[in-house]
Amino acid sequence: MATRSSPVSSPSSIEISWTDRILDRWQKINSNYVARTIIQALVTVWAVTTFTFFLIRLMPGNPVQVYVAQLMNAESITYEEAYGRAAAQFRFDFNATPLQQYVDYLGQLLRFDLGDSIISVGTPVISQIMRFLPWTLFSAGLGLLVSFVVGFILGMLMAYYRNSPLDHILSFISSLMSAVPNYIWGLMIMVVFGVQLHWFSVGDLRGTYDPRLTPAFTPEFIFNIFKHALLPVITYVLGTVGSWMLSTKSSTVSVLGEDYVNIAEARGLPERRILTAYVGRNAALPLFTLLAISIGFVIGGSVLIESLYVYNGLGSFLFQSITGRDYTSMQGVFLFITFSVVLSNLLADLLYARLDPRIRISGEK
Amino acid sequence: MTTQAAPLVTRQRSRLSGIWTALRLFWIGVSRNRAGFIGFLGIVFYVILVILGPILVPFDDKVKLDEIASPPGSRIQLMTRSENAATYTSLESLAGKIVGVIGNTGGPMLVEPYGDTFEVEEFRWQAGRGIDRGLEALTDGDIDALVIFSQSVKNYVTEPERAGNENIYTNLTVSNPGLGPAHLFGTDTQGRDIFSHIMNGGASLIFTALLAGLFSTVIAFSLGALAALVGGFVDRSLTAIANFVLVIPRFPLLVVLAAFIQLNNFILLATLIALLSWPTLMRAVRAQVLSLRERDYVEAAVALDLGRWHIMTREILPNMISFVAINLIFAVTGAMYEQVGLIFLGMAPINDYNWGVMLYFGRSRGTLFNPDSAMMVLAPVLAIAFFQVSMVMFARALEEIFNPRLRSSL
Repeated sequence: MATRSSPVSSPSSIEISWTDRILDRWQKINSNYVARTIIQALVTVWAVTTFTFFLIRLMPGNPVQVYVAQLMNAESITYEEAYGRAAAQFRFDFNATPLQQYVDYLGQLLRFDLGDSIISVGTPVISQIMRFLPWTLFSAGLGLLVSFVVGFILGMLMAYYRNSPLDHILSFISSLMSAVPNYIWGLMIMVVFGVQLHWFSVGDLRGTYDPRLTPAFTPEFIFNIFKHALLPVITYVLGTVGSWMLSTKSSTVSVLGEDYVNIAEARGLPERRILTAYVGRNAALPLFTLLAISIGFVIGGSVLIESLYVYNGLGSFLFQSITGRDYTSMQGVFLFITFSVVLSNLLADLLYARLDPRIRISGEK
Repeated sequence: MTTQAAPLVTRQRSRLSGIWTALRLFWIGVSRNRAGFIGFLGIVFYVILVILGPILVPFDDKVKLDEIASPPGSRIQLMTRSENAATYTSLESLAGKIVGVIGNTGGPMLVEPYGDTFEVEEFRWQAGRGIDRGLEALTDGDIDALVIFSQSVKNYVTEPERAGNENIYTNLTVSNPGLGPAHLFGTDTQGRDIFSHIMNGGASLIFTALLAGLFSTVIAFSLGALAALVGGFVDRSLTAIANFVLVIPRFPLLVVLAAFIQLNNFILLATLIALLSWPTLMRAVRAQVLSLRERDYVEAAVALDLGRWHIMTREILPNMISFVAINLIFAVTGAMYEQVGLIFLGMAPINDYNWGVMLYFGRSRGTLFNPDSAMMVLAPVLAIAFFQVSMVMFARALEEIFNPRLRSSL
């Protein structure tokens, strides 16, 4: 140990100043792909939280001031009382300097304390989020999964039979589907199949489950949950499956042109093995990054879809808190959505690096 | 002789013939690509719609209380006593007679040009009681014909057993079931013609989407080119900013911002959308410029010390113009998605009555659940959907034309 470290800790190293050492350490971290990705994610999270802090607290005519004025008007109390209540709900010390408030705010976020809801007085925002989150995860996640699987299979088909009538028809359909906004699909489904053709009752499918049922682990309740999630899931699938088909097709076509596929064919490997081990795995690689980006897009789109179907998930909660001027809930949900998107991007980057060594190595260069 | 004249002629025609050749090549490419041709026709259709729509069909803002949320077709009917049903079939045949109309409906507008051929008696609406008084006057012989709406006929004459419609008018007949203007798409919750709203409601949406797409493309292109050409610290920080903006969920942020900023100004809306949508394109532009920079002709320009501005605008931009045009179209469709989404949720209180506002009212006034008023939602839905589809099809066709490797169906 000692002998090995001796050339490094030679007398000359004492002359290296601490700034150089930090710089050196930074270079090492920066050249490590994993560490760099994590640091980028942390910086993003910090920047977004700071941005919301300024938006909520320091902007002229900010929500705290608006809320204090509302409280004074509605309950005819003094400015100090109103300000005290607002401070308690927004979780800040109104005697502190803005800088101190900012530090406190960051500390609270580390403890997942997002303040109290303004509309549902006394309810912490985080417990509201936890109440609505499972439904969004369930419906949007199911939609994403179905559309990824269907899109991947159809996209592979399009690539294998390219320039055939099948490819042309599927290309046309996928352009059509990816072009139309998801809420437009939702409106069409509701008006055409629900109201005109009476395939389902729009009113009965509102909400996440039938309020007459008590949540339990029974087949009836589980069936009901799926029934209520059906329309949002179909809408998510219609809105995203087209782009999955097109991206799968383009990545598969580029893999099909690679030398190693030709060589595998020349070696006389069975078709099945070429499709799975050589083409499928490589074609799926770039789709992982797209999957991570689309998680953010799906959660963003859930604001529209859930409001349309009155599905009580995180998206419709965000919409309700904005229409009700519930600033603490709004801030909490927005931060939560952003964090989950950053996290999913981070996971995708790390997973991608694990799956594809080329990325890891070029990143470490 | 001829060998001397030839170069002169080509030099004179060069610029014009260049444009001509480009247009012809564009036309050949587009007309050979079926999907692209459909998209191109769609875009032409929307351009015509936006320009000619407001001129051809004036915006109908007249509230007609008796014609609320009705399905397509003419809603105004002519009602007479049964013995006159064969003679009084049109307004022309009523010369010299007394014609009844009901106020605040489409009737007064309809009989206005006939003011001097027959006498008009107007029954005031008065929460629907005017209909009863008009029908009574017709039964009693005070008037010879009544201009009335199909919904009222249904409520008062053909289905009198319905609660609240106790009066039975057995001696009355509809002599002309389609008297007034045929509403192609029916009417909205205020009895206004939906077709006129569709014809008038596209301009502001399309303009805002184009503006947002343009802003976003300009930001993306200048920052991307800057990052690639300057490199170093500028490149690293611009890429970091792009990665940062890219990861923020765009639509939730727009919705949250809408709670703080009054988004009733479409230039502001376009700017906001553009400020959040440039990063994807910026990264693509940066990659493209980085690869173009390695080309021989750019290196030659660098060696000649022609300056960054010249290299940018003369050497690199012309080679990226198709790429930029395609992405501009995609940026426009993205902006359309976000803009209409915001309006649909009621987050962007745009003052004029466009397709997005029609969707918002369709949802907030419950017409979504009324089978008769499906067109109030379906008409703007189809208008927006076809716009998006034509844009995307056109962009994909351009992609195939300019990038022959993608060409599959030419």
